[in-house]
Amino acid sequence: MATKLKPVDVAVIGLGAVGGVAVLPLARAGLKVAGIEAGTWMNPRDFRPDEIHNNIRGLLTSVPKANQEVPTVRERPGAPTRRGTIHPMMNAIGGTSIHYWAQSWRLKPWDFKTRSHVEKRYGARAIPVGSTLEDWPIAYDDLEPFYDTIEHEVGVSGKAGNIQGLIDPAGNVFEAPRRREYPMPPLRGSGFTDLMMDTARQLGWKPFRPPAAINSEPYQGRPGCVFHGYCNRGGCHISAKNSTAVTTIPAAMKTKNLTIFDRAHVTRIVNGPDGRVTGVTYIRDEKEYFQPARVVLLASYTYENTRLLLLSKSKEYPKGLANNHGQVGRHYFGHYQNGVTALFPFDINVWYGTPAQAAAVDEWADDNYDHSDVGFIGGTTLQPHTEMHPIESANMNTFGRAPSWGSKWKAFIRENAGRWTSAYLQTSAFPYEETFLDLDDAVRDPLGDPVCRVTSGPKENESRAVAYGQRKMEEWFRAAGAIEVIRPTAGPPGVSTHAYGGTRMGDNFETNVVDRWGFSHEAPNLGILGASVMGTSGARNPTLTAQALAWRTAERLVANWKNL
Amino acid sequence: MNKVTRRTVIASATLAPVAAIRSAAQPTALSPAQLSLLEAIVDRLIPADDLGPGAKECGAANFIDRSLTTEKASFIEGLAAVDAQAQTKFSRAFVELSAADREAVLESSPRPFFNRVRQLTIEGTFSDPSYGGNRGYMGWDLIRYPGPRMAVKPEDQKLRDAAKPVRTSGAHGH
Repeated sequence: MATKLKPVDVAVIGLGAVGGVAVLPLARAGLKVAGIEAGTWMNPRDFRPDEIHNNIRGLLTSVPKANQEVPTVRERPGAPTRRGTIHPMMNAIGGTSIHYWAQSWRLKPWDFKTRSHVEKRYGARAIPVGSTLEDWPIAYDDLEPFYDTIEHEVGVSGKAGNIQGLIDPAGNVFEAPRRREYPMPPLRGSGFTDLMMDTARQLGWKPFRPPAAINSEPYQGRPGCVFHGYCNRGGCHISAKNSTAVTTIPAAMKTKNLTIFDRAHVTRIVNGPDGRVTGVTYIRDEKEYFQPARVVLLASYTYENTRLLLLSKSKEYPKGLANNHGQVGRHYFGHYQNGVTALFPFDINVWYGTPAQAAAVDEWADDNYDHSDVGFIGGTTLQPHTEMHPIESANMNTFGRAPSWGSKWKAFIRENAGRWTSAYLQTSAFPYEETFLDLDDAVRDPLGDPVCRVTSGPKENESRAVAYGQRKMEEWFRAAGAIEVIRPTAGPPGVSTHAYGGTRMGDNFETNVVDRWGFSHEAPNLGILGASVMGTSGARNPTLTAQALAWRTAERLVANWKNL
Repeated sequence: MNKVTRRTVIASATLAPVAAIRSAAQPTALSPAQLSLLEAIVDRLIPADDLGPGAKECGAANFIDRSLTTEKASFIEGLAAVDAQAQTKFSRAFVELSAADREAVLESSPRPFFNRVRQLTIEGTFSDPSYGGNRGYMGWDLIRYPGPRMAVKPEDQKLRDAAKPVRTSGAHGH
């Protein structure tokens, strides 16, 4: 029998990138908030310049809960499933915002209204066959104030390219109007990223330094980045990376309205006979608790958001909570992230830095160029960047120039380990009828609950878009002096850090799980936060948008509190 | 790291010398004979030659010995298969073969084990020395990795011009 805890106003499941920001407006408004998190506090001792720890063994990220529920993946129904051993996301106070790359891009107006824009410019036949693409119920302008809030509350460095219509070529000229400049200048360049910036300009492109939730100078009492080169899958030892663990969560704690329950494994969301949710069941130190709440905000990750809803069955929701219309798990997709690898005839010295220390090009993303003859919609952002670790560098592709071991290989890596890099490319992806999440009854976690199953096969539209972006990246690398370039074949992501959908946002309750404010169409006091509500991805990192949406949902909750 | 740099980062970000962080003797997974066989294998993957020491000198076998946990049984099976192959091909133990014959055995050994031992050899040669490999930072010297610095200045990130090597362990550094 679960121990019943003192009721709270809002129970937030997960204190990561999105739950960690939502608690701040709630706590500031005086609501009593329980933050229920599977992980615990990390400290600077967990954050080491150590490739084995961070990248090879995933010791920062390999906390038990997430790794016991790594989703299975298959290409289509009936196809065999495969399963990795390490979950790409982590449980901690601050969640994956602790070890992410912190790239903090806004989406563009096109991303919110892709279907309408594509149909208008290219006709309905340009919409990818089998896709379930819908316009978002909100537009860029609806989210702009919340982007601005997150950029300042969390701290994002960058250079504006469009302030209220005034274009500045030092920033991204393709971005939509923003109300004001970023709170910090962009991260500095390196010799290599400067070379790539210069080369892009010579090609007639418009490069810029991308935005990042990393301090470029002291901000809110924390120092600027020191570029030590262990940012990817590592936490920041000086708190220059603006995870929610060092920004919004401590700010919310200061109000005394946020109580954190760490190492708490949420097992079910509970509802009453009226269909409204009543609270959350969790296990901590092998004891079961029930946390009653007037409102529940589900803020785990895309996979766990869907899984927890599907596991939370009741008389009122026999197919899982908020799933009486069969939409939970639908409209799933993930970014195609297919890097392009290049070898230079000179040392490029990308050992140090951080992946967000990059040269970015946006002209080949979204609808920034005419797609009439390319055979796909959407596109790719290109980002050559810094941060290379020694084991990674020695494990380099030999480009057919050397064997893979022995003295000749040794001579090859001695010369070339510091002369290669992979640019980061992310290509917009769309939801399809046959891309979805459900439960895999054949694979269970230690509590006996099935894990999430990803069904996601390669799609022609996205594969073409990836190939197009890769050719642009090759052009850029070659112009910068690269002597070898490899464009790997595009494949759909398996278990991804850029996973979208499953609880899509939309006005139509027959095709969407949450309404335009992020609350369930079926259980009105259940809010859902994260990229799981997003219906398109754009060609840019999801976190800033997911955080802006989370803040917006939380503000809506405060404004609408008396009507709940 | 010079004093000016040191002042720019917060006090908690210090680097410990490797000697101070070598913990007490760790349990070993392999028998002395298995360890000798493994040393002979890693020695062919990254040989000592004109360019300097190889994986054996870097302590890669020691790193692997300390790393084997859940895969210990399958790894030992893989080692035994290499020795069996040496017997079949040359009627001698692997460690008794010439360099060329050892390479011939490795060429024809099953790929899953070969790929795993190659990956672990790379890890052992180029990882932070606190894990038992990359002895004397010889692996990092080989590929000219400048080493973990707590604060990196713009001049440490120049094109064509690597930073002056720093040879400290970062594994317990903060």
